[in-house]
Amino acid sequence: PPSPPREIQNDNEAHSKWLDAHYDPVANVYTFSSCIGKFDSLPSSSHESVLLDLPAGVAAFLMEQHEPRTLAVAVASGPFIYVYKNLRPYFKFTLPLLDINPLEKEVWEQAKEDMIDPLTLKEILGRMDPFVNLHKLQSLKRQTVITCMGTLKKNMVDEDAVSCLVIGTESADILILDPEAFTILAKMALPSVPVFLDVMGQFDVEYRLTVACRNGAIYILRRDSKRPRYCVELSSLPVGLVRVHKSIVAACSDQTLQGYTQKGKKLWSVSLPATPTTLSLMDQKSRGFQAVLVGLANLEVHMYRDKNLVNIIRTQDVVNSICFGRYGREDSTLIMTTKGGGLIIKILKRTAVFDGGDTSPGPPIAQSIKLSVPKKTKLYVDQTLRERENAVGECKARTAGHRGCDCCTPSNLVSVGLFSPLTTAACSPAPQLPPSRYCRVPMLVPGLSYPIETYVECLSNKGISDLIKVFVLREGQSAPLLTAHINMPVSEGLIAA
Amino acid sequence: MGLFDKLAGWLGLKKKEVNVLCLGLDNSGKTTIINKLKPSNAQTQDIVPTIGFSIEKFKTSSLSFTVFDMSGQGRYRNLWEHYYKEGQAIIFVIDSSDKLRMVVAKEELDTLLNHPDIKHRRIPILFFANKMDLRDAVSSVKVSQLLSLENIKDKPWHICASDDLKGEGLQEGVDWLQDQIQAMKT
Repeated sequence: PPSPPREIQNDNEAHSKWLDAHYDPVANVYTFSSCIGKFDSLPSSSHESVLLDLPAGVAAFLMEQHEPRTLAVAVASGPFIYVYKNLRPYFKFTLPLLDINPLEKEVWEQAKEDMIDPLTLKEILGRMDPFVNLHKLQSLKRQTVITCMGTLKKNMVDEDAVSCLVIGTESADILILDPEAFTILAKMALPSVPVFLDVMGQFDVEYRLTVACRNGAIYILRRDSKRPRYCVELSSLPVGLVRVHKSIVAACSDQTLQGYTQKGKKLWSVSLPATPTTLSLMDQKSRGFQAVLVGLANLEVHMYRDKNLVNIIRTQDVVNSICFGRYGREDSTLIMTTKGGGLIIKILKRTAVFDGGDTSPGPPIAQSIKLSVPKKTKLYVDQTLRERENAVGECKARTAGHRGCDCCTPSNLVSVGLFSPLTTAACSPAPQLPPSRYCRVPMLVPGLSYPIETYVECLSNKGISDLIKVFVLREGQSAPLLTAHINMPVSEGLIAA
Repeated sequence: MGLFDKLAGWLGLKKKEVNVLCLGLDNSGKTTIINKLKPSNAQTQDIVPTIGFSIEKFKTSSLSFTVFDMSGQGRYRNLWEHYYKEGQAIIFVIDSSDKLRMVVAKEELDTLLNHPDIKHRRIPILFFANKMDLRDAVSSVKVSQLLSLENIKDKPWHICASDDLKGEGLQEGVDWLQDQIQAMKT
C-alpha cells in the first residue's frame, strides 16, 4: 500500500491532535470494543461484580418512560443478560431454551428409567458410560449463549427514549427484547452465528440490522423480514463493523477496510499496513464529524474518513478496544485498552481539525488528471464525419463485411432489464438468418451491464409496432429471474419497402 | 478625564481601574472565585455555568477590578482570544482535583501564552490551584509542574492554592496581583 502523506506521518508528540490525558500500562483492563461503552449520567461510585462467564457485550439503555429515568446497564454473559440500575443488580434475563432433538430426548428418558444400557446409548449418542451415569438423572435442555448485543430505540428518536435490547445468539438467531417486560418482540434467523451488530431506526417504525457473521458475511435485515434482505460476502473474516452515516464499514483480517452501502453494494476498499485488531466509530457531534478508528497490530490506530486516512495515533501497546465519546466533562475523549491490559485516555484538542485526502464524493482526484493523449488524426475525424452523415450506408457496409448480409439494418438499440441491460439490435426480416430465440448469457454480476445482441424478425408485414418479451432464466428452471417488455418500433425495412 | 476625576485620583478617593481576564476550564471555579471576591452583600448564592462571559466588578485597597469572567466550556473557549487585548492581567483557575483534564488546561494555557496579543506583553498571570478542599486534589507545586509553569520566563506569575468555597487563598492571590499591577504602572 502507498505510504500515508507526510502531514499525517508527521503527527508526532508536538503536533499531535490528541492530548495524552492518562496512560496506565498496568490498569488490568482486558476487554474488547463490544464490551466497552460510554454512558452518561451514571452515578460515580465504584462497584465490582463478578460474572460467571466472559461478557459478550455491554449496553446502556432506558427501560421505562416514567420518572425518574435511571439508565440501566445490560451486560450479556453466557445465556444471561444482567441488568444493573445505579450499578446495583436489578434483573437477570435468561435466554429461552432451544428445542431438543426428539430422538436424544427419548433416549435419555429411557436411560433415566434404566430401560436402555449405556452401551446402546453410547452407540446412539457417541458418548462415554461415566458421562451417561453422571448425567442421566438431570433434565435435558439445550441452551444457547449470547454473542453480541445492541440497543434499538422503541418508538422515539430522542436521546433519552426507551430502547429495546437486540441480541445475537450462538444458535444464529437475532432476538429483540422488550425493555420493560423482557419478552421477545421479534426473532430473526441468520445463516451463521452473528458476531458484530449494528442497529439503526426504531422498533415500532422501521429498523435495519447490520450483522457481521462468523462465516465472513454481512447480512442486512429489516423490520418484518424473517430472513436477511441483503448479503455481503467479505473477502475474509470481519474484525469489526460500524455504520458511518449511511454506509457500512468493515475491517477484515486480510488487512483491508471496506465500505458498503446499506444495500450491500461495495463502495471502496483500502488496504491497511497491518492486521486490524478492532474497529470503532468516532462521532464528534459538535462538529458533525464522523470517522472510523481502526486499531492495528503495528501499534497504531488509524483514523479513516471514508476511504481517506486522516490521522495516525501511535500507541505503546497493541490496542484491543476503542471507545470515543464524552467522558466526564470532556466531549471528545478517546479511551483505548491494550492487549497487555493497559488503559489509554486521550483528549482531542479543541482546535484540532481533521482534513486530509480528498473528501469530495465520487471518483478520486487522480481520475480527473488529464493524460497526454495524442490528437485525433485527420483520418479518424474524416471517418467519424462520414459515419455521422451517412449512418445507414456505413453500417450496412460494415455489417455486410462482417456477416455477409447486406439487408439487415440495425434500426434501434434497446436497453432491457433492471440489473442486466441487454442490448438487442432489431432489424428488418432477414431471410437468411434463422431467428435466434435464445441467447446464452455468461454469469451475470449485479451492477454491470452486458451488451447482448440478437436478431429479431418482423413477423407481420402490416407495419405495426409490437411487443417483444425478454426472459432471463436460470438453466434448468422455468421461473424467470427477470422479465422485460420491449416495445418495438415500426420496422424501418417495411417503411422503406 | 475631567478635572474632578483627576482631583479625586490625586486624593486617593477614586481607585485606578484595571481589566482582568478570568480564564480556566469549565467547572474549575472561576465564577465562584470572582463571587467570593465581591463584597459580601453583592454575592450571589447559586453559581451556574457561565454562558459566553459575564462582567463583574470588585475593589481592593487601591484598585478597582473589572473582571471578564469567561465561560470555560469548550464551545465558548474560542471567545477568550477576543478579550486578550483588553486584559491587563490574567487570572487562570485550575481544578486541582481534575488530573485527567490537566493536559487540557495546559493546552489552553499554552495557546493563551502563544497568542500574538499576549506573547510579547509583560502581563501578570495569577494561577489559582483551586478546589484544594477535595480529597484527590494535587498540591499547587504539582499543578505548576503539570502545567510546566517554570517555562514562563517573560511574565510575572504566581500560583496560589485556593479553596473557592471557603475563600481560602483568594486574598493572597489578589494581593499579589495588585502589587504587580501597581509595579507595572509606576
